[in-house]
Amino acid sequence: MEKVLLVRYTEIHLKGLNRPYFERALVDNMKRALRGMEPVIEREHGRIYVRNISDENFAEALDRLTRVFGIHSVSPASAVDKDWETVVSAALSLMEERVKDAAPGTTFKVLARRSDKRYMYNSDTICRELGGRVLERFPGLKVDVHDPEIKLSVEIRDNAYVYCDEIKGANGMPTGTAGKASLLISGGIDSPVAGYMMAKRGLTLSAVHFYSYPYTSERARDKVVELTKLVSKYAGEIKLFLVPFTDIQMTIYEKCPSKETTVLMRRLMMKIAERIARGEGAMALITGESLGQVASQTLEALAVTNDAVSMPVFRPLIGFDKDEIMDIARRIGTYETSILPYEDCCTVFVPKHPVTKPRLEDLRASEAAVDFSDMIEKAIENTEIMTIK
Amino acid sequence: MIYFDNSATTPCLKKAAEIASEYMTEKYFNPAAAYAASVQTERDVSAARANIASLLQAEPSEVFFTSCGTESNNTALMGSLAAMHGRGRVIVSAVEHPSVYEAAIELRERGWDVQFAPVDMTGKVLLPELASLLTPDTRLVSIMHVNNESGAVNAIDDIYALMKRNVPGALLHVDGVQAFMKEAPVRCDMYSVSGHKLHAPKGVGALLVRKPVRVKPYLMGGGQESGMRSGTTNVPGIMAFSAAVSDFAEHREEYLDAMRGVKLRLYSNLSRIRDVRLNGPEPDKGAPHILNMSFMGVRGEVLLNALSEKGLYVSTGSACAAHKRGKNRILNAMGITGDRQDGAIRFSFSHFNTVQEADLAAQLIEEQVSLLRRFRRR
Repeated sequence: MEKVLLVRYTEIHLKGLNRPYFERALVDNMKRALRGMEPVIEREHGRIYVRNISDENFAEALDRLTRVFGIHSVSPASAVDKDWETVVSAALSLMEERVKDAAPGTTFKVLARRSDKRYMYNSDTICRELGGRVLERFPGLKVDVHDPEIKLSVEIRDNAYVYCDEIKGANGMPTGTAGKASLLISGGIDSPVAGYMMAKRGLTLSAVHFYSYPYTSERARDKVVELTKLVSKYAGEIKLFLVPFTDIQMTIYEKCPSKETTVLMRRLMMKIAERIARGEGAMALITGESLGQVASQTLEALAVTNDAVSMPVFRPLIGFDKDEIMDIARRIGTYETSILPYEDCCTVFVPKHPVTKPRLEDLRASEAAVDFSDMIEKAIENTEIMTIK
Repeated sequence: MIYFDNSATTPCLKKAAEIASEYMTEKYFNPAAAYAASVQTERDVSAARANIASLLQAEPSEVFFTSCGTESNNTALMGSLAAMHGRGRVIVSAVEHPSVYEAAIELRERGWDVQFAPVDMTGKVLLPELASLLTPDTRLVSIMHVNNESGAVNAIDDIYALMKRNVPGALLHVDGVQAFMKEAPVRCDMYSVSGHKLHAPKGVGALLVRKPVRVKPYLMGGGQESGMRSGTTNVPGIMAFSAAVSDFAEHREEYLDAMRGVKLRLYSNLSRIRDVRLNGPEPDKGAPHILNMSFMGVRGEVLLNALSEKGLYVSTGSACAAHKRGKNRILNAMGITGDRQDGAIRFSFSHFNTVQEADLAAQLIEEQVSLLRRFRRR
């Protein structure tokens, strides 16, 4: 008997002739996720099997796979020879473990799939025969075909696979199959969630962070690195660009109308991010904006920000409430890091009363009144690049 | 680099580090072992205990070594109450270090009637208010000797006298972590100290428990420290601690003058900047090594970051609470809120600091404050 991880995948089967491409990408991403564990990964009839994982790595491998986009679910399974008695004994020993601490009257059901149509039993017969053998061995159990507590699954393929658990995966599309985009990451709750959501649709991410050295601390910077690392657990390797933004902020502050500083700052951030994105071959920007959350995220402010760039800007959280965003952040494990309270570049130089309905012409005029081009060049030149994985 | 954050920790004295090293690499014996070499280590630890006891004006048998100030404070509060029967009132000041404050919160969970004694604007416990909290069922009072944020010095002897008059059965614990060697010994039942605030390495502290006060240990094991604190004796830490306080005792007046000199100089320099506020007692009245000032219109954390880049290290509150913005419990309790709390910076000194440093620091601060004020929220 061999322990394997049986992986089901999501929408890939919808992709027609592109399907092999998506499957290959998924397998590559799985290999990357299981780095250091020497997995043997095989594709077969709409399933992927991961073999050769040592016992001590098994739980970790399972955990990592549930974070790979494109995976619908994973089952730790016993792979055995198709000989019927061997299948039965593997199933019984799995059940043995499962019913050890179960109360009398615990319900179960057998599910069977058979892709080897030459097999001696069809699916119905497998269910009936195996169900009978289970009841014989564990007379305390009861069959419930509608809402069983234990689902014993048997799949007859080249081998037979027996399992009870189906652990939900991250769903989505394999990272890298949808192209590249750059995430504007701040250190707050929203942007890591936005990055996660777009990576889930198959995008490869790079990330751009603006900081106000020396007025923001090293800890604020570490926090962004850590958040990027947490997103990369799902999204794979992320190139992080740390852009020094103090000079630009100070100039905006000194030379532009005070209530416009926030929106102007965001326009310039978008411009710089777009430049970096183009250099990386990315075709879109991603932000964590959510409509109406703060003054710079009103419809008017978003329109003004959008105007600064020509790339598409993805705002996956635009229709989400803060609570909903926080729920996702908790689920993907970024929340605790996001709420660490350090000053970030957006809080160091901010006006008390930012304009909530900025007018595009006003903002364009304010921006044009100052020559930012040298400062933008300098910021890009002094950008520090880290590869996070 | 100018280091004005000595209340967070101090540089270890070279001599203390050498002694620690000697007891790690050469005289590394476990004092609980039986051979001659370990007996000698045991004698050395006894001598260190006697040394520290004498500086606390206590008997050696009243001094127990711990791993840090937090352990001493936790042991004093939790251990002394665990040795009592029944429940009653526990009073701690509103500005205690988290190792006392959080222990008090835990005691409240366990059914003790925990009360917080209010302080004045300088961070000093208000005696009449404390007196009115002293009910007959009061079992323990814990008040810090020196306020680690403001440098206020509590009138511990007066508090002790008040307690002996009104609630003679209750115990007085004093967190002396910021005060040991800098302030004169006081009358109390238990007193906590920590090594690394006095140029010893981190990882060693002590708790003074006056006889016949009973404290229930919470580490079970080999019965070291007369059963009060099991665990292999931290000989290098203890020997270094003793060496560091001996050095301090030997030069005490000189060291205190040095710190006070730096503090007064920095205060007078900074007072020239407009819109600054002193948080704490008049500088010549408080502890010699702590100065807290607010720079109105500037965010403390931003100023701290800017100064750190220039090589000046300060604090926006005790290091243990520095990351909770707008929620500085201690300044809140002192009635220092809003912009004044946001702009508060704590400077803390050691005898290694000089008045030249105070002048240079003041210059850096003035530059950064006026720069940052140009960018204040408008």
